[in-house]
Amino acid sequence: MSDEDVLAYVQAAAKAMALPMDEARARAVALHFGRTVAIARALDAVPLAPDQEPAEIFRPAPFRAMEPRA
Amino acid sequence: MNTPALLQAIANGERSAREVCEAAIEQIGATDSQANAFTERTFARARAEADAIDGRRAGGEPLPPLAGLPYAVKNLFDIEGVTTLAGSRINRELPPAARDAVLVQRLQSAGAVLLGALNMDEYAYGFTTENSHYGPCRNPHDPSRICGGSSGGSGAAVAARQVPLALGSDTNGSIRVPASLCGVWGLKPTFGRLSRRGSYPFVHSLDHLGPLADSVETMALAYDAMQGPDPLDPGCHALGVQPVGGVLGAGVAGLRIGVLGGYFSELATPAARDAVAQAAQALRAHAPVQEGVAWPDAGLARAAAFVITASEGGSLHLADLRTRPHEFEPHSVDRFIAGALQPADWSLRAHRFRRMYRDKVNALFQEWDLLLCAATPVSAPAIGTEWLEINGQRHPCRPAMGLLTQPISFAGCPVVVAPMWPAGSALPLGVQLVAAPWREDLCLRAALALQQAGVAHL
Repeated sequence: MSDEDVLAYVQAAAKAMALPMDEARARAVALHFGRTVAIARALDAVPLAPDQEPAEIFRPAPFRAMEPRA
Repeated sequence: MNTPALLQAIANGERSAREVCEAAIEQIGATDSQANAFTERTFARARAEADAIDGRRAGGEPLPPLAGLPYAVKNLFDIEGVTTLAGSRINRELPPAARDAVLVQRLQSAGAVLLGALNMDEYAYGFTTENSHYGPCRNPHDPSRICGGSSGGSGAAVAARQVPLALGSDTNGSIRVPASLCGVWGLKPTFGRLSRRGSYPFVHSLDHLGPLADSVETMALAYDAMQGPDPLDPGCHALGVQPVGGVLGAGVAGLRIGVLGGYFSELATPAARDAVAQAAQALRAHAPVQEGVAWPDAGLARAAAFVITASEGGSLHLADLRTRPHEFEPHSVDRFIAGALQPADWSLRAHRFRRMYRDKVNALFQEWDLLLCAATPVSAPAIGTEWLEINGQRHPCRPAMGLLTQPISFAGCPVVVAPMWPAGSALPLGVQLVAAPWREDLCLRAALALQQAGVAHL
């Protein structure tokens, strides 16, 4: 991904997120985003099977033993 | 007089809590124009709390374990009647906190005396406490250098002997980095051990709270006082209290101890390696210590922690980033925005990777009880440093301070940072003592062994 590609992504994503941004800010953000692209690439290469779920899962309520229902 | 002796003196009536409180206030007055650790001074409250302790003693009541101990908290902890800044300018608009954070409540119940709130990186997104709104925190060992962060005020306040105990938060290393650079003890407990309720969050899935202190005993007393389940904090997984006070002096004989190699050695400068070697040598007097232990997927874990941090942090502040970015910390605002723009896939993959990673780390601790590595790649850099060279590789300074801490907290393991002093250096550099989740006792036993050997100290 070239520097210009990163800048274009940042500008387009900022529009989608309703984040107003001038050219100087976009370039500064793109510098950081570009570093994260490189970091995320390493993770992208890790094979993850479909059943490998996130560590923490939403819990609707604490689990309770089944009680007899009326 | 060391802190355990001070607590004993208060309990015996040889010194009053008020006298100890006034001594702390005097020390803060004498040193804080340089350290810039305090952003809020709660001296009226401190005097009232100290007087209450003295009143209880005069009335013949037994005193709680931290009776009269002065402390302060990073300014992301709620203090009743004080606005919780979290290092920001924007939060000044918030109303004062209606009640203390849970950990502050617990320390108050244990008799500790709250002196104030401490400087930090804005919204905890930083490792240097070069706060543009409240000024940089300055390292008590050399005021031209950083204190580390984001709990920089907590490290500085203990190192400058303003208070023997401070609370901080640690998402990716924010207790351990300032402990390392300021040369104080630090404990990042197991993820989920201590309640975070009443603290301003940074990254919900990674935030921890814990103490920085002037001795292992102070840290252990505070840690025990702060333990307890909290069903109202979704990240508090502890279902009971596991006090360490009774086992602190059990030593390390019989423990399986290793020194981390690979990633942790490659990203440590000679000074950092020397600090680890000194700690390993001291522990070797009691137990064999094996070099070159491999920690699984450290680089990937750091990448995953980095991605989750940026994404959750950016999302948390999105509304303000949209409307008032110019009011954010200039050092971190662009990183917050970049995080808010990350594709969802990156964070989701990072969370899925985390579970697999956790299993690998827990498997490692089937073979080891305690693992050692440096807490920071270098000693404290000068304020304003942009780039660091580590073993021939150039790194951006601010994120690089967390290179050695991020992989460990991402697994949720408990860590004590021991304040070590590399040979030939006037600056400290901490060593991480890492154990399996829920085994803070092992970290603290090793810490006490290092303190008693005289190699780890303020």
